[in-house]
Amino acid sequence: MTGGSAARALILTGAAALSAAAQAPPDVRLEAGYARVEQLGFAPADAALFALFWRKPIDHWTLFTSANLTYARDSLAAAQGVVAFAVPWQANEHLRTDFGAAGASFSLRSAGRGGNGSGFLRQHYVRDAWGIWVGTAAGLTERDGVRTRSFAGDLGGWTRWRFMYASASLSRQNSDDWLLLLASGQKRAPLAASYELEDWQLVAQARRGPHELSASWTKRRSVAGSDVDVDAIAISGSLQLSDRLAFLASAGRQLSDPLRSLPQADIVTASFRVSLGPKPLPVMQRATIAEVHLHPRAEGGAELELRVEAHDTLVVDVAADFSSWKPLPMVREGDEWVVRVALPPGKYRIGVRANLGPWRAPRNLARVRDDFGGESGLIVIP
Amino acid sequence: MSMHRRVLTLVSLALASVSAVPALAQGPVVLPIADAKARVAVEREIARAAARGLPVQPLIAKAMEGVTKQATGERIQVAVASQAKRLEQARTLLAPSTSVAELTSGADALAIGVPGAMLKQIRAAWPVERSVAMPIDVLTELVARGIPARHALERITVLMARGATPSQIASLGSSVQADVAAGLAPDAALEVRARGVMSLLPSPAAAAASAPSGQRRP
Repeated sequence: MTGGSAARALILTGAAALSAAAQAPPDVRLEAGYARVEQLGFAPADAALFALFWRKPIDHWTLFTSANLTYARDSLAAAQGVVAFAVPWQANEHLRTDFGAAGASFSLRSAGRGGNGSGFLRQHYVRDAWGIWVGTAAGLTERDGVRTRSFAGDLGGWTRWRFMYASASLSRQNSDDWLLLLASGQKRAPLAASYELEDWQLVAQARRGPHELSASWTKRRSVAGSDVDVDAIAISGSLQLSDRLAFLASAGRQLSDPLRSLPQADIVTASFRVSLGPKPLPVMQRATIAEVHLHPRAEGGAELELRVEAHDTLVVDVAADFSSWKPLPMVREGDEWVVRVALPPGKYRIGVRANLGPWRAPRNLARVRDDFGGESGLIVIP
Repeated sequence: MSMHRRVLTLVSLALASVSAVPALAQGPVVLPIADAKARVAVEREIARAAARGLPVQPLIAKAMEGVTKQATGERIQVAVASQAKRLEQARTLLAPSTSVAELTSGADALAIGVPGAMLKQIRAAWPVERSVAMPIDVLTELVARGIPARHALERITVLMARGATPSQIASLGSSVQADVAAGLAPDAALEVRARGVMSLLPSPAAAAASAPSGQRRP
């Protein structure tokens, strides 16, 4: 097996865990599986994948950590750790800053022996159904006594409609890691001190309850220093077999990643993920799909109607101070869960959550912190 | 004690509190908090509040919220203690009001950062026999929507002085909510809606003439 390609599988696993964690917050996940890796100039090889993912919400920010290990007998031993933070801005609910660092140690047949460290910073502007981001990252690799540096900047946007998600991004990467370029089958321009790559990427994702399917297409071209001109298509999916067990599979081409010192490879993976802790299933994004409507009553007060647009595989809970914070029974109407309660005039607080995720405010209510790390929606009935 | 019985005890306590039964006569509070040590601490916190003459119903509600939200026992204890502290502050600021609704409204307003002096101003805007729970609730909602507290207070106290009913003041909040949902900035929505409510009210002179004697100003 080629070391670099297996290491790519390793990163894939880590990235998948991080990506999924942004929406699905089990406290602890263990993942084990198989990867078949094909890299230019080497015979296809098999590798074992192991990953541990841990997530900790702390008040209004979240800490993510993950550790990955990939092993393929004599051709590869690689380990990677990631620490990342997602910090929503208190002053503006639409802003969130993500930052983090990753470290890796590897012994790769295709790309030598050494270590790598990288860090990233990304600023998000998030609305209910769309968002944009801009980010930067830097990486340092030492391989067989040679130190190389890489830098990257990216910007992109995403949108969501019902169970579909799509994103588009543009990134540029500058690096002097020539060995990585050559291991990926590309050529170095004469006299160039470094090379620069430009990636255009489109991602489409569909989610039905806890199940996910995504596909990506990346067009990479050289800006300077090389002859790179390559396309990559990758697909991946996860099937939730039970509350705690999921099957994951992916296939496709992964382009080289100078920041993390990973060469290009074609990879097929299959793995199982076990979720531990009290929150095993994905949660819905911020309660963008829950809305409260008031219908005044002749005898005073109003009928409060809460509608939550969610797939019927999602477990949605609604609780409020008027129910002594006990979950309210909901009925299914079309694509929505609905609850209606007649209430006298007064002030009420309401929280909504899906699949045991964080409690959130319905999107059209004033939001207040709830003393427990979540939020409630506030409404006054005339 | 079974969960069912605990809940019954809680409900009884809550009802007893709302019925203004003296807090000390309510007996021990038993909460469905899994962590026994934290449960005892929270129950003590509630008993201490009752001994100080504070209503226990908002504290039980806070604890129940924590239980539902699967907060740690320690966090529930901190939340209940904070709520008790805010209730005590609200009682001082809203004196001589002592109703559960007013103290709870005051405590919730303080929780989102409404300055205590503003609660005093609202209390002073209406005679003491008239509950200011609704005006405080509307102030809380408007501030939670991002409207500067000073601006929201000004609008609400003007309406109170002009003789607006609690329902009219409450409708200010829901109208602003509808406008915000339609895309209007919260500040602008408040301005427009406050004027709308004002246009329904009698003139300042007529309001003064019809107000109870305790509400009239020189």
